[in-house]
Amino acid sequence: MGRVFNPVETRDKTWMREFAQAPATLVFDDFVRVYFSCRPERDSNGQYVSYTGFVDLDRHNLLEVLRVSEKPILELGDLGTFDEFGTYPTSVIRTGRQVVAYYGGWTRCESVPYNVAIGMATSDDDGVTFTKLGAGPVLGYSPDEPMTISGPKIRRFNDQLILWYVAGIKWKVVDGRPESIFKIRMATSRDGRHWVKRNVNLIPDVLEPDECQASPDVIFYQGKYHMFFSYKYSSNFRNTERGYRIGYASSDDMFNWTRDDSRAGIEISSGDEWDNQSIAYPHVFELDGGIYMLYLGNEVGRFGFGLAVIDDYKP
Amino acid sequence: MRWKKIGKIFDPKGFELPNGCSEFAQSPQVLLLDGFLRVFFSTRSKDSTGKYLSHIGYVDFDKQFNILRVGKDQVISLGKLGCYDEHGIFPLNVLKTKDKLFGYIGGWNRRVSVSVDGSIGLAVSNDDGLSFRRIGDGPVLTASVNEPFLVGDPFVQIYDGRFYMWYIFGTRWVRYSDNAPPDRIYKIGCAQSSDGIEWTKSWEGRQLVADRLGSDESQALPTVIKRDGVYHMFFCYRESSDFRNDRNRGYRIGYAFSDDLHNWVRDDANVGIDVSPGEWDSDMLCYPHAFEMDGEVYLMYNGNEFGRHGFGVARLER
Repeated sequence: MGRVFNPVETRDKTWMREFAQAPATLVFDDFVRVYFSCRPERDSNGQYVSYTGFVDLDRHNLLEVLRVSEKPILELGDLGTFDEFGTYPTSVIRTGRQVVAYYGGWTRCESVPYNVAIGMATSDDDGVTFTKLGAGPVLGYSPDEPMTISGPKIRRFNDQLILWYVAGIKWKVVDGRPESIFKIRMATSRDGRHWVKRNVNLIPDVLEPDECQASPDVIFYQGKYHMFFSYKYSSNFRNTERGYRIGYASSDDMFNWTRDDSRAGIEISSGDEWDNQSIAYPHVFELDGGIYMLYLGNEVGRFGFGLAVIDDYKP
Repeated sequence: MRWKKIGKIFDPKGFELPNGCSEFAQSPQVLLLDGFLRVFFSTRSKDSTGKYLSHIGYVDFDKQFNILRVGKDQVISLGKLGCYDEHGIFPLNVLKTKDKLFGYIGGWNRRVSVSVDGSIGLAVSNDDGLSFRRIGDGPVLTASVNEPFLVGDPFVQIYDGRFYMWYIFGTRWVRYSDNAPPDRIYKIGCAQSSDGIEWTKSWEGRQLVADRLGSDESQALPTVIKRDGVYHMFFCYRESSDFRNDRNRGYRIGYAFSDDLHNWVRDDANVGIDVSPGEWDSDMLCYPHAFEMDGEVYLMYNGNEFGRHGFGVARLER
């Protein structure tokens, strides 16, 4: 359907100069709030921080932006905390009168560029501002998931909360530069606070053993669970054909998945389009008799996100 | 309590230590073996940037604390790139269970805005501690909602069939002055486990032991021993700024006791050990490790300069 939002076109917000990554929706009566992560200009060390903001889209015309958030929904963490340098990505869910957010918090390391763990925050004003549960993460590292716990997607199925996320398994040095290798994982919870990790890679690799798998999102439709995610090669993936594509898997029980990327149903565009090189971070949601996908284009969302709709929707 | 100092029993100088280390024997941790003691300690090398890496070595003593041998090889390697224990292990706390020897790793890794972070991992030995193998590349105890960073200093004991881990967690990083790097503040916590592998922070975010120096007190390396139905905890504590060179702000050993492992009463007046003027431990006492051997209770600890010149031992008199 085309690009919905390009952050490079916003002029008045220093915290939103470029990037609109990891879109995630919260549906209201008249509009759809889409959270995404954006970045101010690089700091004096040439490094980015990331914030989460949102745009509200007209529920009856999702290509129409009604408003853009004035402030980030979350502040960066204090000195030395896990989210000192970024809150990205963010996924939200309604719980009673509250909106609960799970987000990747970023810190900077010496031997590798960063580490990530998942934090939790709650909102009492329909998701405009959030308060962190505490200064530390709600889902962190464990023996089998040593680093880079990121990309949370919170869902509720069968009265259980499910967190799909990404776990780093190692850093691989390519041409002297550490590159993170990560796989899709899941955890379950009753209260949203205490999580039990499944501790297995959910999706088999197709590109190579070090294939990187990111941003899983799951929807239940016609009796099955459908997962859309992105995947790429572990090396030489920046701005090449080895970058992100959108993959697909299905499951009857949420735990055992059959991968079949040929059924993802979306590919990079041709020509001069904003998504002609890579597509990533699929977010899938059902709305008013349709299933939509928000996704990122080239350079992992530097120039915003777009919308696609399923052709053959059957309620 | 009153401790009788036996004296310094190990100075790393002059020994061939693992990883080319020549200074520091910190945070001694005792494994009682058949007729002798194996004491693991953290020693230091410098990497190409001039920063320290902490490695684990060991020294064996007879029961009179005479040195039998000093290990030349590391018993555990440092963690992999980007892992919680990439830049140091301090301490390696060992615990013998019925059929296993656990080594709890106090792992350190370097950060950018602050100097370090830490988490606690687990490794297992099948050769009385000459070599350890990790159960995974990641930690078994790490930062959580109310314990945001610097989870370290594990000390594990089994009481009534349950595993207890005392450890520290960071509460704040503070810039005490504009031209000094941030300093950390940490407190003592406790976690529980049924198998020593999967841990629950039953008192998550709760500081177990009251401050004596105010909220900026840092408390480290708890060690617990049970005597006559009472649990006794020793630890070290200090101010969180100017503690390296000002002897009045540096580490001393503190004491607390508990009847139920839940409520702890701080009682430093009864710790029974202090610095000794003119001695190797004249300015500082730190990193205590309590253990029982043949009915006597002993305390190993470091003295001046955080253990650069080794560790000593004291025996409990009453």
